[in-house]
Amino acid sequence: MSAQGTLPLQITVNGKPRTTQVEPRTSLLTFLREECGLTGSKRGCEEGECGACVVMMDGRLVNACLIFAVEAAGGSVTTVEGLGEAQHLAPVQQAFIESGASQCGFCIPGMLLAAHALLQHDTHPDEGAIRRAISGNLCRCTGYDRIVKGIRLAAELQRGHA
Amino acid sequence: MHDFSYHTPATLAEAIALMQADPANSCYLAGGTDLYLALEHGAAPAGVVIDLKGVAGLEGIVALPEGGWRIGALTRMADIEHHAELQRDYPSLCAAAEVVGGPPIRNRATLGGNLCNASPAADTSTPLLALGTTVAVSDGEQERTLPLAELWRGPRQTTLAPSAVLTAIMLPPPAPRSGNAFQRLTRSAMDIAVVNAAVCLALDEAGRVASLRVALGSVAPVVVLVEGLESALAGKPVDEAACEQVRSRAQTAARPIGDVRASAAYRAEMAGTLAMRALQDAAAMAGGGS
Repeated sequence: MSAQGTLPLQITVNGKPRTTQVEPRTSLLTFLREECGLTGSKRGCEEGECGACVVMMDGRLVNACLIFAVEAAGGSVTTVEGLGEAQHLAPVQQAFIESGASQCGFCIPGMLLAAHALLQHDTHPDEGAIRRAISGNLCRCTGYDRIVKGIRLAAELQRGHA
Repeated sequence: MHDFSYHTPATLAEAIALMQADPANSCYLAGGTDLYLALEHGAAPAGVVIDLKGVAGLEGIVALPEGGWRIGALTRMADIEHHAELQRDYPSLCAAAEVVGGPPIRNRATLGGNLCNASPAADTSTPLLALGTTVAVSDGEQERTLPLAELWRGPRQTTLAPSAVLTAIMLPPPAPRSGNAFQRLTRSAMDIAVVNAAVCLALDEAGRVASLRVALGSVAPVVVLVEGLESALAGKPVDEAACEQVRSRAQTAARPIGDVRASAAYRAEMAGTLAMRALQDAAAMAGGGS
């Protein structure tokens, strides 16, 4: 039998390489929140239904609650903290503020990342594309209309920035 | 969650050797969207997790020289959903891949994982069965192929030996004048199917039925083909009478349970309705292409 305990993990989080040890059973979400101190990714349903935990992993939007941190070894993860900076917000962040897209805010990091993932490959999303892109993210304030509006504005801002 | 040891074999032989060392206490990991929760809830063997994502050659969508496609078992739903040639020739499969969870799930969930999870409600299983798919299974030494229907024993049970790995899904080339379609009934977009149905239809030069397969999901312990339809309708036009045959035979073939999502009687009735709608869609595709 191979040894249990911890495994070495090399991973790039928000552009910064890290080398650490993790237990195999540690979820990527727990690793990000508790080891990296990045609490933007939220612990919601913890079964891949709500999307509050989603992050970009190697260019794809994924549920951090359904991935073991060791599965991300050698990879690159972007959380909401890596999207922009306080003085230099990403277009999706700026657009959500301007659109009043956030109510309680719990779903918003996931919504921002889902929007970011959409706008990477679709610079002119229509409403259907936007709604499909956030279909894995629940907003229990049910503020979807402002979120959709925010993503449409983000696409405009992003095109302006390009 | 219990502690476990985690392995990333680089070859199939290595993966299978790891499994054979302690099969009752080990599991293969693909996308993990089902397995993660099964491990968390103690519903899967928990001591040894063998991650197949590092095994070369298990991912990707490749055109076969003799026609048709080979989809690596670890190919993710998002890659199937967005694949232009698959969308053209196998819209039923792409439509099913597109409704497996939300986008972040489809960026992880694999086609092989969906089949080996052996849920009777798995959306991709139904079109794959209708399309006449075969699957490749490796025991570490050789690969054999079997018809998809032989993969499932019952709900959440496959016929595979514990150490065997499903490596690929083979789609036969589309027949001339053929069409395929998928229909699904659910209460909301993110829920699993109450019932789903898929049809693969080929017409002869006169526009009459040359071959017909109708598959139903969520109506039996495994995804099933409706028996006897092809012989009943061969050589006949896809008209109202044919639609009625498909509807009534699909309804009769359905042996559903009743649960929180729907009663057994409703499921059976809707199985007939969805099969008929899928037939109409498949016929439009088959006729439109000639």
